[in-house]
Amino acid sequence: MKSRIPSGLPWVLPALLILVTLSIYPMIYSVKVSITDASGAFTLANFIRLFQDRLFGAAAVQTTVLTLVALVIEFVLGLALAVLIDSLARARSVFRAGLLVPMLLPPVVAAVAWRLIYNPQFGVLNGTLRRIGVNTAPLTWTSGENSALLSVILVDVWEWTPFLFLLLSAGLQAIPPEPIEAARIDGAGAWRIFRDVTLPLLKPTVLLALLLRAMDLVRIFDQIFILTQGGPGTATETVSLYIYRTAFRFSNFGYAAAMSFVLLAATIVFSRGLMRLMRAR
Amino acid sequence: MKTAFRYILACATLLIALAPVYWLVTISLKREVDQFTYPPEWIGFTTTFQHYASAFRNGSFAHYFTNSVLLAALSTLAALVFGVPAAYGLARFEWPGRWSENIGNWILSTRMLPPIVTIVPLFLMLREARLLNSLFGLAIVYTAFNLPFVVWMMRGFFDEVPREIEEAAMLDGETRVGALLRIVLPLVKPGLAATAVFCLVVAWNEFLFALILTQTESAMTLPVGIASRVTQYEIRWGEMSAAGVVAMLPVLVFATAAQKYLVRGLSLGAVKG
Repeated sequence: MKSRIPSGLPWVLPALLILVTLSIYPMIYSVKVSITDASGAFTLANFIRLFQDRLFGAAAVQTTVLTLVALVIEFVLGLALAVLIDSLARARSVFRAGLLVPMLLPPVVAAVAWRLIYNPQFGVLNGTLRRIGVNTAPLTWTSGENSALLSVILVDVWEWTPFLFLLLSAGLQAIPPEPIEAARIDGAGAWRIFRDVTLPLLKPTVLLALLLRAMDLVRIFDQIFILTQGGPGTATETVSLYIYRTAFRFSNFGYAAAMSFVLLAATIVFSRGLMRLMRAR
Repeated sequence: MKTAFRYILACATLLIALAPVYWLVTISLKREVDQFTYPPEWIGFTTTFQHYASAFRNGSFAHYFTNSVLLAALSTLAALVFGVPAAYGLARFEWPGRWSENIGNWILSTRMLPPIVTIVPLFLMLREARLLNSLFGLAIVYTAFNLPFVVWMMRGFFDEVPREIEEAAMLDGETRVGALLRIVLPLVKPGLAATAVFCLVVAWNEFLFALILTQTESAMTLPVGIASRVTQYEIRWGEMSAAGVVAMLPVLVFATAAQKYLVRGLSLGAVKG
């Protein structure tokens, strides 16, 4: 005889209650905050404002650019690095451990290090470049209107390429040697083997790594907060930073909540893909 | 020849990965007059520990450090206490239909919420509960943040233990809880340790929640303490770098200890590595 209540429920219930209180309830609360005005009446003003707000538009564009550019560079470099380290006969674990350091640091500490490096006057980057004869006057890095976003991307590439490297390298090692052997016996060159045998077999890991990284990139906050605070002007303002400013500098919680739903929508797109992938395994 | 080129390339990449960290360390060890000289001094400078002393002995960084340690320990412990039984329940009990899978997926999806989405309501809720600027309040938030991770990871580890082992123990008169504590948990100990390390690192590195939910000196964590110094007008780079070095050491030690499970943890259990 089976009772209707699943016998495992008491084990799971405490965790579920915590998550409902601290994840789901805040979401509902957030909806409420975003659709009521100061007097508590229903309003869609916050959502209408989204479409007219140039700053939000700029932040959305910058977040998208940053996500896509960083993702592509990190993927290409991460894959190249995974193949490179995989091909070494010795000291593989030493290289692997060293290469992982950037992503393990507290993001705040990594960003502090890069502020020291980027400073146009006394930073070590321009100092070293000047030393080898480069004219560093135009190299303003994070303080230049045009170079700031690229400089932020560069830090992200430094910090998170190791993540793609690590996952892809695990993926490479999980590939059985037989199909590659077979292709080699059939006379295929190294590049053909990589493109037609290795890459297709690596595809699930590639997708997983890209989705995980993309989800983190669209919410990027810590590094930019330390490096540029969204500046100069709004050159490196991202959606997370703009929401932060709106809520905690200007105390406009309703509008901040409304904006956060746009970010949530983007995340849901990525996470649905991710869930499907994980279930397929 | 080709092999030599590969090693040179690998070494160059390693250099790029480590140089910024090394530079931070040198700034923390240099006298103020040597910090920003031209040309930059990578080696052979006079070393001093004055910045460590002024940050940690005379300054408030020792206090932030204690806060970070307490917070990481407390929230990790809580996440394990609630997460391990939930993972066990999902892995071992009969669930109707696709309940187990759906609950698991739903739990994981809460982890994917961008923090900035929940932070506005959490800030308002904690303010109402008078838990702003309190380590306890922040620990509750971190627990909820790490809980889905614990459930997801531990379920994977429990799935790898054959059911027959605890069924045999229960036939011998062991209770369900006893079987979990005395038979199953010892078998998944490495996995449990790795999961705990991940929670510790996440709590230790976390910045956004801490920045918004604790704004007083008394409850500040190490990352927030460092950040509050960066954004000031005059930055004392020596102290900041010293604090940064101290903040990164535990993470590097812990991550090295759990290296075997790094891939699994970072991919939320999807790549068994």
